[in-house]
Amino acid sequence: MSGSIVVEGVGKQYVKYHDQPMLAHALVRLAARSRTDRLWALRGVDLRIDSGECVGVVGRNGSGKSTLLQLLGGITAPTEGTVTVYGRVAPLISVGVGFHPELTGRDNVFLNGTILGMSRRDIERRFDAIVDFAEIDDFIDTPVKFYSSGMQVRLGFAVAVQADPQVLLVDEVLAVGDFAFQMKCLKRIDEIRTSGASVLLVSHNLSMVERLCRRTVVLHEGTVRYDGPTLEAISTLHALLDDEAQVQAGAVEVVPNVADVTEFAICNGSGTPVNATPTGERLTARVSVAAHRDIERPFVGLTIDGPRGDAIFHQGNRSRPFPPLAAGERRVYEVTWNAQMPTGTYGVRMHLGSIAADDKIAILSEPAPVTLFVQGKLDAHGVIDVEADFAAGD
Amino acid sequence: MGHHASPTPACEGGGVTCWFAMSATETDVLRLSNSSASPRQLFASVWECRELITTLARKEFFVRYRRSSLGVLWAAGLPLIQATVLSIVFSRVVRIHTSTSYPVFVFTGMAVWTYFTSTITAGSTSIVDNSGLTNKIYFPRAVLPLVQARANLYGLAINILIVFALAIGFGDGLDAHILILIPATLLLVLLCSAAVLTLSALHVYFRDIRYVVQALFTGLLYLTPVFLPLQRYPSALRHVVLANPATGIVQLFHYAIAGGAADWGHAVLISGAWTVALAIAAVYVHCSRDRVLADLL
Repeated sequence: MSGSIVVEGVGKQYVKYHDQPMLAHALVRLAARSRTDRLWALRGVDLRIDSGECVGVVGRNGSGKSTLLQLLGGITAPTEGTVTVYGRVAPLISVGVGFHPELTGRDNVFLNGTILGMSRRDIERRFDAIVDFAEIDDFIDTPVKFYSSGMQVRLGFAVAVQADPQVLLVDEVLAVGDFAFQMKCLKRIDEIRTSGASVLLVSHNLSMVERLCRRTVVLHEGTVRYDGPTLEAISTLHALLDDEAQVQAGAVEVVPNVADVTEFAICNGSGTPVNATPTGERLTARVSVAAHRDIERPFVGLTIDGPRGDAIFHQGNRSRPFPPLAAGERRVYEVTWNAQMPTGTYGVRMHLGSIAADDKIAILSEPAPVTLFVQGKLDAHGVIDVEADFAAGD
Repeated sequence: MGHHASPTPACEGGGVTCWFAMSATETDVLRLSNSSASPRQLFASVWECRELITTLARKEFFVRYRRSSLGVLWAAGLPLIQATVLSIVFSRVVRIHTSTSYPVFVFTGMAVWTYFTSTITAGSTSIVDNSGLTNKIYFPRAVLPLVQARANLYGLAINILIVFALAIGFGDGLDAHILILIPATLLLVLLCSAAVLTLSALHVYFRDIRYVVQALFTGLLYLTPVFLPLQRYPSALRHVVLANPATGIVQLFHYAIAGGAADWGHAVLISGAWTVALAIAAVYVHCSRDRVLADLL
């Protein structure tokens, strides 16, 4: 039941074809000896995952996550370096591989199991456990095309996790299926890990990574940017994402040339800028402002966007603005608040505004939002944390 | 801050990892680098997958007829209708003397030809056609073309049984010559396997292969002794027919069913030569390209 992964100096180069390679083109290319465009999807990656470890891999699209999974699943070979995987691999990259809609659930279990490397006898032995896990016993002799998508996923997942994998590669698959089944899958993944398997979880769902993995790798542009404790990794990822957001900022309509925000950061109690925090921490959102003209009644607003992108909180000090700012003056404004929220990725925005003599409001500057990952309380979900306490009565 | 793997191989790295390396069987250790597999490794890995080949082949055959009400009967019905039409046409238009009754002669040839074309047409595109599988999970890519060679054996077996029935029905009878069918079928399967292994890998790079194969087959039927015995071809064409890899096998089948003069030696040698050449190409291309074919799907 034990497995491990060793990745040494791995690079993977892809050839970018502008179009389908054609026989005629190939002959021309051979004659002209011209080079095609090449692209390193991964470069210089070293990674070692031991038995019983669950390691998360995060990074934006195109950072090399899928290539890494494909390499570990043996679907493709590295251009340089070596990949060594000890133990039977179950790639949950896409569950239900090879399911045929015309075949019954039973036939598909045997088909899919064989593709995953199980022998017929293995499958027969585990058949009941598979059907049981998938919760579809009444439908096992019905063609899969009559299954709901949830049932198909459940059956596919059931086959994969009953294969006693020693190395489990988990992709976004867990995003599908209902909540109860997701929890069941997570529990099963953890059982497999505890029994000595190594698990690699690739996901955009940072709360899931945070929940399952103590160690997380940040991939960025094909290289490992960080490898260590998950909360730190998520912070690193957000810092990388914020750098890019900064470049693309300026989406809001603001009155130009009155004042600039030269710096915007979220800091923890010791004044260090952070992108991730445990829940309940007292944080400070700080903007440094440079005024180019006189500003009569400056104010700031704090907006927090929830994990789904909708604003879940906003407060400004319009009714009690700051003292006037003179042209050329610089000042730091701070908003201190409690990050009392369930686990998730939040966007923190601040804007600088002014109130004119006729009480009209103008937005002077809105810097790019800062991403903040909050590590919430265990089993807490939702948008707000109501600080629930649990007690048993007499 | 980062955790970096030490550059030493796992087993010298000691400790926990070393224990796995020894406890896991050799087949459970996957080592990947930018180097080709040896032919021995290729054969071993394909052999490991024999159960997968059977399962996929069975699925391939039964799924094909699943939606039709007559089901698997079509596997026999279709070639039977084809042979009837062709033998009526040919026996009216040209008067041909064969060592058996003409329908038996045509149907024997058609049995071989059907296996040959259906295996090569489906097999040569199999790796691309199954990209849903190959992109998601690894098994030797050679499995997919071999599945086609295996799946079409069901149809071939049905057709051979029909040949037996026809031979008895038309009063030709059968004798010990039918034992020739064993090496003949073996050669047919080997030839087709070698061809689809090579073509399916090339097809990943050159999608034109699909059309080249289709174009070739439209003409090749008339250059295979299915309707005419080899001797009846004009002498200029006879060399072309002899160069056709299917000719030797069709002749062996005719000999097995009808007996007669053993004039197949030359053609069988040519079929054998094709098989060896294609097999060498197949082993070469799958050893060097097996792990990177998925990159182009």
